Amino acid sequence: MSTLITPPEPTVPTKDATALLELRGVSKDYGPNRVLDDVSFGIGTGEVVGLLGDNGAGKSTLVKIMSGVVSMTSGSWLWRGEALDKVTRPETERRGVETIFQDSALVPSMSITRNIFAGRELTNRAGFLRLREMDAITTDILDSVVSIEGIKSAKQLVSSLSGGQAQAVAIARAVHFKRSLLILDEPTSALAVRATEALLNYLVQLKGEGVSSVLVTHNLHHAFKVCDRHIVMNHGRKILDVRREDTSVEELTAAVVEGAEGVRRYRAGRDLA
Amino acid sequence: MTHVSHETDAASAAPPPSLTLDEPVQRRRLADSRPTTLGGRLRETLYYMRGRGALEIGLIYALMLAVFVVWSLVDPLGFPFLSSNNLSGVVTQSVPVLAILAIGVGMLMVTGEFDLSVGFVLSFAGIVFIKLAQSHDWVVAALLTVAVAIAATTANGLIVVYTRIPSFVATLGMSFVWKGAGIAVNGTAPAYLAGADPTFVKTFAGDFGFFRAQILWMILLGVVAFGILQRHRVGNRLYAVGGNAGAAKAVSIKPDRMRMFAYAFLGLCVGLAAILVVARTSTMQPTTTEEYTLLAVAAAVVGGCALDGGRGTVIGMIVGAALIRTTENALILANAPGLYVQAFFGISIVVAAVINKYVEERAQ
Repeated sequence: MSTLITPPEPTVPTKDATALLELRGVSKDYGPNRVLDDVSFGIGTGEVVGLLGDNGAGKSTLVKIMSGVVSMTSGSWLWRGEALDKVTRPETERRGVETIFQDSALVPSMSITRNIFAGRELTNRAGFLRLREMDAITTDILDSVVSIEGIKSAKQLVSSLSGGQAQAVAIARAVHFKRSLLILDEPTSALAVRATEALLNYLVQLKGEGVSSVLVTHNLHHAFKVCDRHIVMNHGRKILDVRREDTSVEELTAAVVEGAEGVRRYRAGRDLA
Repeated sequence: MTHVSHETDAASAAPPPSLTLDEPVQRRRLADSRPTTLGGRLRETLYYMRGRGALEIGLIYALMLAVFVVWSLVDPLGFPFLSSNNLSGVVTQSVPVLAILAIGVGMLMVTGEFDLSVGFVLSFAGIVFIKLAQSHDWVVAALLTVAVAIAATTANGLIVVYTRIPSFVATLGMSFVWKGAGIAVNGTAPAYLAGADPTFVKTFAGDFGFFRAQILWMILLGVVAFGILQRHRVGNRLYAVGGNAGAAKAVSIKPDRMRMFAYAFLGLCVGLAAILVVARTSTMQPTTTEEYTLLAVAAAVVGGCALDGGRGTVIGMIVGAALIRTTENALILANAPGLYVQAFFGISIVVAAVINKYVEERAQ
């Protein structure tokens, strides 16, 4: 029904010959329901990509497939041009994919230090934690990597942090472990205006360090501000894949709200004008 | 025209990373505010122990002990709490068994799971030990008993992990299986250990005047559990799984593997507790041990374990068990009717859960 509008530029970004992460012909069925239908795109090194779409468009499933938490029904997952046979979370983690879900990235009942090192603990040979060293590194991360206001100590429980602070800690963790692709699922939905602003600026800064990000959001204005490229999903299909300079908030709005038909109408109107 | 200006606006806003907001304007660095003196570090550690149960329940227990000690000093005949008969004969024997069970149950609760079959795994393991000890050396019998207990709780864990039914229901059902297993081995009558090896009794129930060997076993297991849960990467992952399984998975922690570890460790605790019970009483009841299950869960909750996982300390679990057993002892010494003892168990669980919740909310 809604057909792909051929983007004026290639699907694989031109910055790099091969994309950092590429999905090819990805489909996903949940029982009889096809939630993703033949979706393909690539994410280049140091690129910030906005993944947009209304509720039920397939964004969340796509995020889970990218991060390896959910397996796909068909299609392939390529890292720097090489296809992975079995896409599992440990495999994607080893390659540097970090997903920051809106409220489940951290363990609230654990301290900031223990959260930052969860699953990647610094230990001695017998596996015992080097707690003082981890505290010192965490303090350093909190001081330097991302300026987070209002945190008193690395030993503070995450449950005592605000949404913005927790989000910042999750991102700081990803940066510390030199992740190469951050997938942020609705990162700004729980944040105050200032915290949102800081977060978006931070993504741009990370780009300079060669870190790619995928920003999944409802908020087109946030996405438009920082993303180099926008992918719009509609009923499980990719209907738009366009660079920032070739689109506008208005066109993206039309795509999210009305699907491919909306884009066609918007473009017709714009060309007339 | 407006349209064009909007586009250039947005484009110029993005590329050069000029962090206009949250500019570090003489922000106090955390590194500078970290305590350097021993006293300062201690104070910081205590400060961040708030809201995790152990500190609060420790204070309550200390207060309670003080009351009992003073009472016993004032009225040594009417309330013989401090007599060596009471300390060595009752308190230091009943506390360790419950504390060891509470450590196993509590560590499992940290991962967000339950085991309601603890009492009957205990009786099953105890009966197995008595049977084995009659034909084998007690060391062999003890090791085999622990292995049997670990196998039993591991079976519980496998059911929970593979069927994904709530552990509450799965282990409640399994408790009847283990009860039946005990009966299958020795019938419904209590099993007796005739002619126990004196070395065995000395090892697991030796009298040291004011305390019994059980206390030493409790301390040993406590140190091991503390090392694993609070100082080892395994413990860090147990907390992560119980606190937020999704976040744990996202950092490649395998929740099921951690749950299985906690179930197996519980087996070790139950096996040891069963041996301690047999060493003390030379007998094991096959059908009336469900009280241990509830008291172990109660001790863990009193000690600050969250019912939905992610929270709990080994010290808290031990103090929780000590508090329950000491109060029981005091009620009996004060000649309170049996009804009060039972009611106390019930009330202590409810009150502890309420305090737990309140303390947790305060800490946020």
